[in-house]
Amino acid sequence: MNISASHYTFCFESYGVGVRLSSNSAEILETAVDAARSALLGTLSEVSCDKCEQDMFLDLEDDGTLRVIQNGAEMLSDKPGPKYWAYFDSLIRLLVADFAPELVFIHSGVVGWKGKAIVLPGNSFYGKTTLVAELVKCGARYYSDEYAIIDQHGLVHPFARPLSMRTSVAPIREDPVQIESLGGMRGTTPIPISHVLFTKFDAEAVANYEFITPGRGLMEMLNFTIGPRRNAEYRIKVLKNAFTGAIIVESPRADAAKFARNFLEFVDNTAI
Amino acid sequence: MDNSLQPVARKTGLVIQETADEVLVYDLNTNKAHCLNQTAAKVWMACDGKTSVGDIAASFGKGSNEDLVWLAIDQLSENDLLESQLTAKFAGQSRRDVIKKIGLASVVAIPVIASLVAPQDALAAQSCRCSNPNQCIGPNVSCPATTCNSVGLCAP
Repeated sequence: MNISASHYTFCFESYGVGVRLSSNSAEILETAVDAARSALLGTLSEVSCDKCEQDMFLDLEDDGTLRVIQNGAEMLSDKPGPKYWAYFDSLIRLLVADFAPELVFIHSGVVGWKGKAIVLPGNSFYGKTTLVAELVKCGARYYSDEYAIIDQHGLVHPFARPLSMRTSVAPIREDPVQIESLGGMRGTTPIPISHVLFTKFDAEAVANYEFITPGRGLMEMLNFTIGPRRNAEYRIKVLKNAFTGAIIVESPRADAAKFARNFLEFVDNTAI
Repeated sequence: MDNSLQPVARKTGLVIQETADEVLVYDLNTNKAHCLNQTAAKVWMACDGKTSVGDIAASFGKGSNEDLVWLAIDQLSENDLLESQLTAKFAGQSRRDVIKKIGLASVVAIPVIASLVAPQDALAAQSCRCSNPNQCIGPNVSCPATTCNSVGLCAP
């Protein structure tokens, strides 16, 4: 941690993105650094601040209000508490995902099945985590319930954070669940993609797999790509590399457990 | 319509990725992505400023006609994928009527261009995005605040 006359600073690099975290409060900075480590699953290393292009300043005001100013734009301003730091967690992850120079992040669940990745693009409240959990219970390896991280070779890397489960008892709060508590195992190595499933929870739905053409699939993926407008040419090239040859389908889904079994059977029947 | 016209595909400011049968075109100026199906892609690729509409139609072989090409050109022009705007006039018929007519007779797939606008920024993909306060309230909303702030987030 560096200290200047009025600021405390911690500079780190994660997924190729250099971030300068600073604050006028040492305690706040310490909490922010812990939050960043948690948000990025420890995939960060301290670096010299001159390597950092991204800037996050946490300004603690006299009345206890904490403002987060990201690259000059105010993102949050409130008294810090659990929900505040949860949102800060999102900001850090999105900042890194948005600016990662050689990786493309897709808002997606990912599991490994027989050595290949199944990618489940979807935004919040699509039911990704529930479906990922059920697929893992069926024997798939857990890669992520939030991001498919794709490299220039088209391989998906794990981002295996605790599952953020919403339940009928707590539909708003997300309770972190370790995959091992579900009897699951984590994937650890980058793997190619075999299938992509666009799906959304619909209580009345019956599974009905409709094939999507590669071009349409690639286009639809942009809806879930983090920061698609930034370096679009590179991102599209990476996505094309990754999804060429993959089977792309869409289907609504109701009961996740039943759907997961049915879908893995579909994957086995359509595997190339 | 003048079938001797030689349309020119726009190539500047575009990212172009070909898949097996389709072409994905990303317009860097508008941040719109377009997926051209096989027919639309073939027409677009043929728009080199030297090949007439008639010749493009002929390249599809037996069973195609210039209306098919004009359908493609109409959509390409509408999506700003040609150097100059070209509007097809189908002798008073609507595009839908022409599609029906061609669809019944053609062995070549109707040209289709699907489009979407790429999301604006990373936070736009989060569920906490809003354009009015009502979007920040409700059982499915899990955001730091119930007010919509100046950057369009349900956040303080």
